[in-house]
Amino acid sequence: MNRKRTGIAIGLVLALAFCGAAAAQDTVKIGVVGPRTGPAAATGAAFDEGIKLAVDYVNGKGGVLGKKLEVAFEDTAGAPDKAASGFERLVTRDKVVMVLGESHSSSALAQIEVANRLKVPFVVVEAWADEITAKNYRYVFRAGPSNSGVVNQTIAQWVKAETFKRAYVIAENTDWGIGIGKLTENALAKAGIPYESMITERNSQDHYVELTKIKAFKPDVVLAYIYGVGLHYFVAQAGETGVSPKAVVLDGAGPPSLWPDYWKNVGDYGDLECFVSSMHEKVELTPLAKYFREAYTKKFGKAPTDYKSRSIFDGILIAADAINRAKATDAEKLVEALEKTNLETTRGTAKFGLTKGGPEYHQWMPPMLVIQWQNKQQVVLYPTQAATGKLKR
Amino acid sequence: MLAISVMNGLVMGVIYALAALGVSLVVGIMNVINFAHGELYILAGYFSFLFASVLGLPVAPAMALAVALVFLFGLLIERLLIRPTYGNDMYSLILTFILSIVLQNAFLLIFGPYPNKPPLWVRGASDIFGLFSYGNQRLAALLSGAVLIAAVFLLIQKTWFGRIVRATSQDRGMAEWNGVNTTRLNMLSFGLGCALAAAAGVILSPVFPVTPTAGVPIALTAFVVVVLGGMGSLWGCVVGGLLLGLVENLGAAFVSSGYKNVFGFIILILVLLIRPAGLFGRAKL
Repeated sequence: MNRKRTGIAIGLVLALAFCGAAAAQDTVKIGVVGPRTGPAAATGAAFDEGIKLAVDYVNGKGGVLGKKLEVAFEDTAGAPDKAASGFERLVTRDKVVMVLGESHSSSALAQIEVANRLKVPFVVVEAWADEITAKNYRYVFRAGPSNSGVVNQTIAQWVKAETFKRAYVIAENTDWGIGIGKLTENALAKAGIPYESMITERNSQDHYVELTKIKAFKPDVVLAYIYGVGLHYFVAQAGETGVSPKAVVLDGAGPPSLWPDYWKNVGDYGDLECFVSSMHEKVELTPLAKYFREAYTKKFGKAPTDYKSRSIFDGILIAADAINRAKATDAEKLVEALEKTNLETTRGTAKFGLTKGGPEYHQWMPPMLVIQWQNKQQVVLYPTQAATGKLKR
Repeated sequence: MLAISVMNGLVMGVIYALAALGVSLVVGIMNVINFAHGELYILAGYFSFLFASVLGLPVAPAMALAVALVFLFGLLIERLLIRPTYGNDMYSLILTFILSIVLQNAFLLIFGPYPNKPPLWVRGASDIFGLFSYGNQRLAALLSGAVLIAAVFLLIQKTWFGRIVRATSQDRGMAEWNGVNTTRLNMLSFGLGCALAAAAGVILSPVFPVTPTAGVPIALTAFVVVVLGGMGSLWGCVVGGLLLGLVENLGAAFVSSGYKNVFGFIILILVLLIRPAGLFGRAKL
């Protein structure tokens, strides 16, 4: 009797194992890393939305290698140690063939070391520090903005185009903040625009003292590189201390100015604030951008605002395209396929740089816009050919 | 620059002191460190937001209701989690740490990752003696924070309840022999400590919106203030809070704003080197 029961038990275990293996073989798994908790947890929510749409899109078109695409998500909380261990878990536990995502440069800088060590392709989508691609790691790509790209192609050009006379640069004490702040200073010096700068504590809720220093300099533009809820504090307090609207405040990251509670948190002080973004309802660069807007609105019952939902959508499409062209999930073949990427995404045609020696290696820089809130409406200011209105002061 | 740094230091100092008072009270009486203190601050902020912004209650009743609910929640925590661990401080430390993680994730699930804030009591900013412009809501927070701190001192120094609290803090055994029900006092004190965190939360959430994990730095600052002032000392909380607020703001103004948090820790290290028990010495209320 016991032998019979043991036999049945073994049979069941084998059957379950077989079912599991069969299910695993039906999918190709990729990993996504991003902050679901911490000060930028909203980015995790945006990533979640983009992932759902991308998985539907890819699987609706036949999946990858004839199988369904599956995504495993690891929360990095914006902390480099969690980011590195989360990345490693995706590779060792979930057996993903490629990893995408990230929104914090400090986290991404920790993850690229893991990617390089484990030899797993990693496509960064929203961590901007130049060092991420400047290290020229074979397995590291970026399909998204870089600090130098955003500053030299968009922010510095916009500051010159609006003929601002005095600028103040305030940057948070993170890899992203310090890097983009320094690049902005260099660009302003090159353009001959007088400026001053300061570093602020990333988690600070209170910016009164900094804003008093800024006010004393009498700038007509403040370039603020503060990410997360901190940006809301900064914009509200800039209004309270009288820095704005005398000076135009630019949110140099973008999404916090588009979060659902932005207006509730900053009140009327939010009007006339400017921010960078790769998305605007009246600027659709490709047919896929139109598809994304429609699919997003249908699925979530609201219009897309945080452009990072679209960044991860593009990232997954790039990954799926590379896997299909590689006709394999082998890392070396995936890297070769990624290097040959020429894919239309929502933000234009993705194509990675192949010249070694600088941050352009394995980098695709999508175009960015400068947008201003005018009576709670988004008005595109830069680039001028895409402008839907003029700067209000 | 000096004027606004001092003013801002005072405002932040009162806020720090208020957040630390609850921690100090619980440490002084129960010798329990509540790791979920910051999350209770955030919970009150969410309640205040929910009642005022979502249900449309007037601001004052919404705040009072938020504090009352957190007080009741505090009583429940004491009864279910803290009381069974009496005699072993490590268990309560671990349990409140777990509670803080559970609450953070519950906030994330219920309210989402975006910042939330209840309506402002007063809008706009005021010109302070022609020196600088200062947000009216911050001035209101300073005033109400100071009034609340004074009320806590009156409660501890001038009332029968305060006398029991001081007696228990000084000698628990002696207080019991004199008929004090210390089990009930523990429960009430823990609830009061939570209510103080909640009061800080409802006063400050219109200035600094609440997010699921925003309680962590608040609790950390409160612990720094408590250690700076001396474990269990209410005066220590007030002096420690004001000192921390002033040092952070003057340091940010005249040295570097990037190292704002470092100044607080430098002061903490210096004070602990000179007076290891904190500014106001041993546990005494």
